[in-house]
Amino acid sequence: MSNKDCNRSIAAALTAATCTLLGTSAVEPVQAQEEPGWDFNTALLYYGEDNDRVQDLSLNILSRRVFVDDRYLSLGLTVDALTGATPNGALPQSVPQTFTQPSGRRTYTTTPGEFPIDDTFRDSRVAVTAAWEQPLGRLFAINIGASASSEFDYTHLGLNAKISRDFNKRNTTVSAGLAFAQDELDPVGGAVMGLTQMPVAVDDDDDGDGDGRNRGPAEDKDVLDVVFGVTQVVSRNLLMQFNYSYSDSSGYLNDPYKILSVVDGTSGDPVPIAQVPGVDGPSHLYLFEHRPDSREKHSLYTQGKYYMDGKVLDLSYRYMTDDWEIDSHTVDLRLRWPLGSRSYLEPHLRFYTQTAAEFYRMSLIDGDPLPEYASADYRLGDFDAMTAGLKYGWKTSGGNDMSVRLELYQQSGNVSPDQLIGNQVGRDNYPDLNAVIFQFGYQFGK
Amino acid sequence: MRICVSIVSLLVVGITSGCSSMGVEPWERDVLAKEEMQLTTDAVEAATDDHIYFSKEASSGGRGFGGGGCGCN
Repeated sequence: MSNKDCNRSIAAALTAATCTLLGTSAVEPVQAQEEPGWDFNTALLYYGEDNDRVQDLSLNILSRRVFVDDRYLSLGLTVDALTGATPNGALPQSVPQTFTQPSGRRTYTTTPGEFPIDDTFRDSRVAVTAAWEQPLGRLFAINIGASASSEFDYTHLGLNAKISRDFNKRNTTVSAGLAFAQDELDPVGGAVMGLTQMPVAVDDDDDGDGDGRNRGPAEDKDVLDVVFGVTQVVSRNLLMQFNYSYSDSSGYLNDPYKILSVVDGTSGDPVPIAQVPGVDGPSHLYLFEHRPDSREKHSLYTQGKYYMDGKVLDLSYRYMTDDWEIDSHTVDLRLRWPLGSRSYLEPHLRFYTQTAAEFYRMSLIDGDPLPEYASADYRLGDFDAMTAGLKYGWKTSGGNDMSVRLELYQQSGNVSPDQLIGNQVGRDNYPDLNAVIFQFGYQFGK
Repeated sequence: MRICVSIVSLLVVGITSGCSSMGVEPWERDVLAKEEMQLTTDAVEAATDDHIYFSKEASSGGRGFGGGGCGCN
């Protein structure tokens, strides 16, 4: 027997003897109970757009470890595989259009009458998150986190922190949060300079990282987010939340793959450019988009959850405005309808509308002075969107949660006739979008 | 920015004092404690939705931080 074991058995004998003398029994010291392990929230998501546009298969895992005293550690992983094509910003034409690929080495040609889409789009994305949450004293709680993600042409690093305090018998919670992200863009072929002409294709062995024509090396983007929130228990059946958020982005905010057609001021058709024999290049005049290098957004958000005899109504509204003159309204409605004690149905409706950015235009007019900023990215245009979906969730015999949901998302652009020139009238000038979202969710370990 | 902070401070003071008459006693939290009554019932679903709409629309955030960390917008 080692000295240590010997000391332990002596201590145990002394404890037993003392307890006998005092007339008490030896009680095991009370250990703070920890949850047995991790719980996991996992989902497999398919997102697919019509007309062979973007398809995304996404695996998401969020794991959480509960420690004593309401302390939590959360770790998240997302892996996305993206394929498909995305509108490049050019207008449709009655003749084929040829574009130089983002790599600057080859060209692609689009069908007459159809929206020019760049079908060289392929990417994968891995994102990780980590967060730690714990109470601070009796009424405060803090949450600190970090995030990172990597794509072929994009890297993100972020930090965030949030503090909250309870008031009024914990019926009111006030919170403040701060997040900072530093992202780096390293686009295929280099970061293009705004409002420069799409070059001819040059099949050299250059790595594309700034070939001296109109491209520079990698660029940075910084994003600062601030959120203030109040959560209020209104009654036994009603919970409300109100948030104000401020977001400031600065740096390279262009989409380096988006272009604008330069059109004739009378016919509205893209201006053809002279082709040099033996040189592959764009068939018409296209300029890369150029956005401001800063953007400030303000959002107001409110959400209510109302319990009605087993059913739960979840209604939220968001108003956003920014200094690019985009205003948006979002209404989101869900109703969780129990089917017995182990399953439920949840219909979902979402309505969204936004105004166009001040510098959004469908095309540039040949001969006019160039504006300071211009983009034909449909996501900065004036459009409405609607989502309609249904989710079915159930408890497995092992007590875990499973769910499936199917949703349809539709975007339709609002192009006013006074924006159209010559032959553009009667053409489809906005790339409307229809997408399907299917998700399978599995939560276990709770 | 300073104006925003002042407005938010006023709102917070107003809401916390104005809301002091609202709410429930600790023993009346049976419904509010239900999983389906949490503001975010499924964190993964909320995150995937935020990511989709961030990629396809010009707005983001509101519920929490503006999101991002993606070259998709």
